[in-house]
Amino acid sequence: MLVMGPNPTPEEPLPRIPLVLNNRSMSWVTQRICGIVEGPTPVWWLIALAISGTLALICFACIGYMISTGVGTWGLNHPVGWAWDITNFVFWIGIGHAGTLISAVLFLTRQKWRTSINRAAEAMTLFAVVCAGIFPGIHVGRIWMVWFLAPIPNANAIWPNFRSPLLWDVFAVSTYFTVSVMFWFIGLIPDLATLRDRATSKVARFAYGFLALGWRGGNRQWRHYELAYLILAGISTPLVLSVHSVVSFDFATSVIPGWHTTIFPPYFVAGAIFGGFAMVLTLMLPARAIYGLHDLITPKHVDVMCKIILLTGTIVGYAYCMEFFTAAYSGNPYETWLFLRNRMADPYIFSKLYNVPVAPYWWAYWAMMSLNVISPQIFWFPKLRYNIYVVFAVCMCVNAGMWFERFVIIVTSIHRDFIPSSWGMFHPTWVDIWTFAGTFGLFMTLFLLFIRFLPMIAISEVKGVLPEADPHYHPKHDDHGAHTSTTEEAHA
Amino acid sequence: MKRILQHPPEVVTGRKYWRNVGELADTPEFRGWLEREFPQGAAEMEIDGLSRRSFMQIMGASLALAGFGFSGCRRPEIQFAALSKSVEWSVPGKALFYASAMPRRGGAMPLMVTTHDGRPTKIEGNPLHPASSGATDLQAQATILDLYNPDRSKFFIANGKKSDRASFENYLKDLLPKIAEKKGEGLAFLSDVSHSPTRERLKKEVLAIYPAAKFHVYDPTGSVLDQAVAKSFGEGVALSYDFEKADVVVAVDSDFLGIDAVGTEPTRQFSKRRDPKEKMNRLYAVENRYTITGGMADHRLRLKASQAVAFLVSLAAKLGMNMTLAPEIPGVDPKWIAECAADLLSAQGRSLVIVGPRQPVEVQALGFAINQALGNIGTTLRGVATAASAAGTLTDLTRAIQDKLVSTLFILESDPVYTAPADLKFGELLKSVPDVVHVGLRTDATAQAAKWHVPGTHFLESWDDAFSPDGTYVPVQPMILPLFGGLSVNDVLTLLAGSPVPVGAELVKATFEKQGQGTTWSNFLRTGYAEGKPAAANLAFRRFDAPISLPDPKVIEVVFPPDYKIPDGNSIDNGWLHELPDPVSKLTWDNAALISRKFAKAHGLNDNDLVKLTIGGRALEVPVLVSPGHADDSITLARGYGHATGTAGKVGTGVGFNAFALLTSTDSGFANGAKIVKSQGQHLLAFTQEHHQMEGRALVREGTKAKFEAEPAFAKTMHIDGHIPPNISLYKSPKLGMPEQWGMVIDLNTCTGCSACTIACQAENNIPIVGKEQVHNSREMHWLRIDRYFATSGDEHDETEPEMVMQPVGCQQCENAPCETVCPVNATVHSEDGLNVMAYNRCIGTRYCANNCPFKVRRFNFFNYNERPIEKIKVGPLPEASGLYYGPLAPKGTEELTKMQKNPNVTVRIRGVMEKCTYCLQRIEEHRITSRVKAGGSDKLKIPTDTIKSACQQACPAEAITFGDLNDPDSALAKLQDNPRRYRLLEYLNIRTRTSYLARIRNPNPKMPGADKVADIYPDEYESLHGEGAPGSTGPARDPNAKAKTSEPAGAHH
Repeated sequence: MLVMGPNPTPEEPLPRIPLVLNNRSMSWVTQRICGIVEGPTPVWWLIALAISGTLALICFACIGYMISTGVGTWGLNHPVGWAWDITNFVFWIGIGHAGTLISAVLFLTRQKWRTSINRAAEAMTLFAVVCAGIFPGIHVGRIWMVWFLAPIPNANAIWPNFRSPLLWDVFAVSTYFTVSVMFWFIGLIPDLATLRDRATSKVARFAYGFLALGWRGGNRQWRHYELAYLILAGISTPLVLSVHSVVSFDFATSVIPGWHTTIFPPYFVAGAIFGGFAMVLTLMLPARAIYGLHDLITPKHVDVMCKIILLTGTIVGYAYCMEFFTAAYSGNPYETWLFLRNRMADPYIFSKLYNVPVAPYWWAYWAMMSLNVISPQIFWFPKLRYNIYVVFAVCMCVNAGMWFERFVIIVTSIHRDFIPSSWGMFHPTWVDIWTFAGTFGLFMTLFLLFIRFLPMIAISEVKGVLPEADPHYHPKHDDHGAHTSTTEEAHA
Repeated sequence: MKRILQHPPEVVTGRKYWRNVGELADTPEFRGWLEREFPQGAAEMEIDGLSRRSFMQIMGASLALAGFGFSGCRRPEIQFAALSKSVEWSVPGKALFYASAMPRRGGAMPLMVTTHDGRPTKIEGNPLHPASSGATDLQAQATILDLYNPDRSKFFIANGKKSDRASFENYLKDLLPKIAEKKGEGLAFLSDVSHSPTRERLKKEVLAIYPAAKFHVYDPTGSVLDQAVAKSFGEGVALSYDFEKADVVVAVDSDFLGIDAVGTEPTRQFSKRRDPKEKMNRLYAVENRYTITGGMADHRLRLKASQAVAFLVSLAAKLGMNMTLAPEIPGVDPKWIAECAADLLSAQGRSLVIVGPRQPVEVQALGFAINQALGNIGTTLRGVATAASAAGTLTDLTRAIQDKLVSTLFILESDPVYTAPADLKFGELLKSVPDVVHVGLRTDATAQAAKWHVPGTHFLESWDDAFSPDGTYVPVQPMILPLFGGLSVNDVLTLLAGSPVPVGAELVKATFEKQGQGTTWSNFLRTGYAEGKPAAANLAFRRFDAPISLPDPKVIEVVFPPDYKIPDGNSIDNGWLHELPDPVSKLTWDNAALISRKFAKAHGLNDNDLVKLTIGGRALEVPVLVSPGHADDSITLARGYGHATGTAGKVGTGVGFNAFALLTSTDSGFANGAKIVKSQGQHLLAFTQEHHQMEGRALVREGTKAKFEAEPAFAKTMHIDGHIPPNISLYKSPKLGMPEQWGMVIDLNTCTGCSACTIACQAENNIPIVGKEQVHNSREMHWLRIDRYFATSGDEHDETEPEMVMQPVGCQQCENAPCETVCPVNATVHSEDGLNVMAYNRCIGTRYCANNCPFKVRRFNFFNYNERPIEKIKVGPLPEASGLYYGPLAPKGTEELTKMQKNPNVTVRIRGVMEKCTYCLQRIEEHRITSRVKAGGSDKLKIPTDTIKSACQQACPAEAITFGDLNDPDSALAKLQDNPRRYRLLEYLNIRTRTSYLARIRNPNPKMPGADKVADIYPDEYESLHGEGAPGSTGPARDPNAKAKTSEPAGAHH
């Protein structure tokens, strides 16, 4: 049984749980993290890259086939105009929320535990947004005309339709991506300089040196750097809320039962944070094990993230129930039909209870419910939050559950809406399936390249939360440092 | 410095010529053009607030984006061929209209054909013709595609090899003298039913040379009506029903509004009697399967076709006729027949009993006897003269071939190798005839079996004449020379008569001289009919006592009706018809054995399951389809499908199952004693509608006449519509600027669901077909669909004896259109005359509009349907999901022939764009331009009242669709706005649809069993939860008794 770290319920007096375990020194941190980048390429990495790279190529092949042949290569049809394309878009964009939340919101609220996970989480955000950004681009019928979306004062004097949430989407996602890239890159600069200084090959020195933008670690540079970082954190924070709110407007502003729901913006944001944290853990737990980063990414980190998953998962569960309640309470027959008969009526309990036919997509609805609402509830038990296998399993559940959530919202709402004569079903084709699977390949390829060539943990920031960084730190009197404000904040 | 040109005021001397419509209307835009040196915006940067800086920005952005859009890469190149000689009357770009007629089995359908630059593109009914009123049916709408069918016969074929006309004429030159020597001994003809006096005349000429020649007529739809009429009323008479005079109609195994309709007249007349404010007629339907006639019925009796005779005998007995038989019909309430008889007796001379044309001759004669007893003959049942003269039957011909009496056989536009009943084994017999000449539009099975095949001509390519069903003499006028140089049947008969084939109208002119009836030739062609009353024939019923036998009610029967779409299979290669959903089953690209749910359960069958049907040693494997309202122990299999490979073109190959393989020459419409055995596997059927209940949503609203009289506006407050809160909006809708504001009203009370409108829309708007595999994936492109729902009082899902209702749904042109707000690129916008329009070249295909359309009427081009031949959609077997779709490497481009049908006023859409109904915008614009031209300099720019008809409206034989200007108080549409039956779909969404519907009213006989269930098809779930409500009310029912009122039996009536 692999139970990590110290006893979670220590005896009185409660000592602070340090952010970096085993009294690691600054040089150890540098060695450890830079070592990942500088060491020889591991075999597993090459194998993983080959697999994920192949998947990514399949994704591009599918997209090429789809664009050259027609959107009909997907399983879409007349009631179901969006299915896996937009499901995948919302799924990936949701995952892209945790990174910015960790790096910006937690930065502003001075949550020091963020330092060892923020870099990877931000990278994950970017790669997820890359994957997400593919779909709105390619799902249109005439991709060669997508520039119509840009507000260009062209000769026809036709502007995009500023009333359309799809247009807001374009602005929201592109803003989010731009700011996230800047934020991530600014944070990388000191570490890139470290890599530059340690680099042995000319190429690496040039590449890291180019990217480090002449960083010398001077006082003025640090002051500017931290101000810039703070400002970008300030810009990013509202984006965390806005992007997924805007994505939810794609549905909330429509008239379709199941989409036309005012609870969507907060519900989508909570869901995005929920899914994003699950994906952060999904990536960090294996990376931590492979690279032996147990001292940097401690059980406490896992514990805190589990708590966030529990909180946001419960918010999501509340939203599911509230949606259902609203539909029932409104008395709107189209709304009640949707929830009971398009989603809930499973063949075993609810269809019999209400004496209604089985809902065609009942399995998707109940997959969503059990994976997203029920599975995180086990995080009420601290012991399970400290068991990485359990944590990993729940995170995988949440990853799948959040995909199902988007599928349920999109497909089960439009496959049977107002006029029964045009009801239909959606069946994915192999192109749908491989395009989606391929985005995981793309995501993993980018992530593997990231951990191979860039420091996956923010070296300079972790150093900043080490006891050593405290001017009052005395290595021989451990208890002294515990009274400083640094560790107090760190524990919050 | 900009020069401002000062034009002196124009002095009008003599006629004023104008340069364009703008000048005529003297719009400010035009004046601007006149007075400016450069177009507006081209020379005034400072004035428009466009500074040098922003100019540089724009130019920079344009430059940067010039490379992204690939905007110059994909313009198709078209080759133009100039008309080197001017065509009379032809103005390039302007349509010309010609009167013609479509030869049909029941009599020619008078038409008006639209031609663009010499190509016929669209077919309408002839509005001048007294019995047409401009309506058509779906076959007439679709036949324009037959003309341009890429698979139609293009060459003379001799012994399977390509030949030419000269060789054929040489062949005849060799052959004919030999036959003439024998006085025509051994010469035989087989043709389909014809109403052409010219053909009759030529026939007589042929007989003059070859007196021993024999003419035979075969009607593959199985109708024996002509024989029944001949036996009951004598030769040379055809029947004509007057539904306008009939108060009570009993249809026994007769689909007189659907496949058994003769022309569009019955539907129009019947509809005229459905206005609930007037005296409504009442229709009783007795049928084995749901037909569209059954859907219109006030009372419907589910009865096997073989039991129709028992029903008629019982009915006759109840009517007081002296009947020797007294049959018991299991499962039929005797009260049903008694009350039906009582209703008929109360309307003597004003009623009609129609027996289906495929019932045996003696059963039809019994029907005539009943009408005679009711005094209907001469009032509601009249006779008209017909051209047809006596001819032999297919059975006679078969016998003659067996007896080696036939050495030369001319098969004229008939496909007996496919359509002959199986027991005749016609295909094999044909091999024993040395000289077989086939004339036809398709290289069908008979063409391939014949020694010579002569490519026939479409009726739009050749001269002919005919009688329309009401007895009017009409011309069949060609619009275009034969596309592939074929010979018409008349041409071939002329050759046989030893005359040269005329180039023009000589043949018809010669007939016209005799038939003329006081019309000039030019008038005849212009108006499309000969004036003067059609000759009425005297109907003297002579009863003949053929023995009537009652079949065993327990045996399983198979009924073979002609298909709704391709009646006898002659339209097997018409893609429009295949893709059109069957009006009742909503099945496309197939036929299937329709059975009842109970029968399916008893045999362990589900939809798509293959079964082996066996009748008297003949077997056929077909898929089954459970059909609500179908009689038990009865199977319905439509004719016309399942042609052999290579005989049905690309479109028709592999479509459906051949019902003729089960038929015998003694069966007319049905066969008894079938066996059904489940066999292995399934055959996937593709439907356009997969859900058949309204699920308690008041979409089609319906009530009884009694309910309507008590509460005329009952439809306005049904379901959630009674609970719409008062509309308080902060948003002020922009006012629409045009004087005309378009709208549409569809009367569900008269719509039969015949689907002519759907095909009319397809032809008018260049709507592509997508093929079975794509229909199966719900990607059909019809802009106007007809929703068909089955509903039962009480349990909505009970499929035993449901009611059937129809609802045509196209774009509802919402004023608050949900599609418009969500389009990110402004590709779908509102026009100033209240239309929701599509800018195809702006559309990028996000499909958001379709998702947000509550009616799901928007259609997306998932592939380049217009650019791909139907069989070139997918590589690999159909309809496997694993197959690859043809990508960019596939052969591209529409067939030249198919292109000729396209309406030049409507864009042909490419893949990736959304499309939908726009109330035939091109027709509106055409009239707008015309009215502006007419207005000249005056300000009378308004389009005259009710001059525009949408394509669907024009085709509708029931006149159920009214399109017009809501702002014009004189328009028919504006008058319908006050109709109490009017309601709008999904009113509570506040989308303010421009299309509205008139609720359906049924007229049940309160004394009939089950009368209280008629038109009571909504479960009261919503009302019981929330009360009845009224428009504008927010709370539950104001009237506590309201609930009790609706659940009252819809009884007491006029």
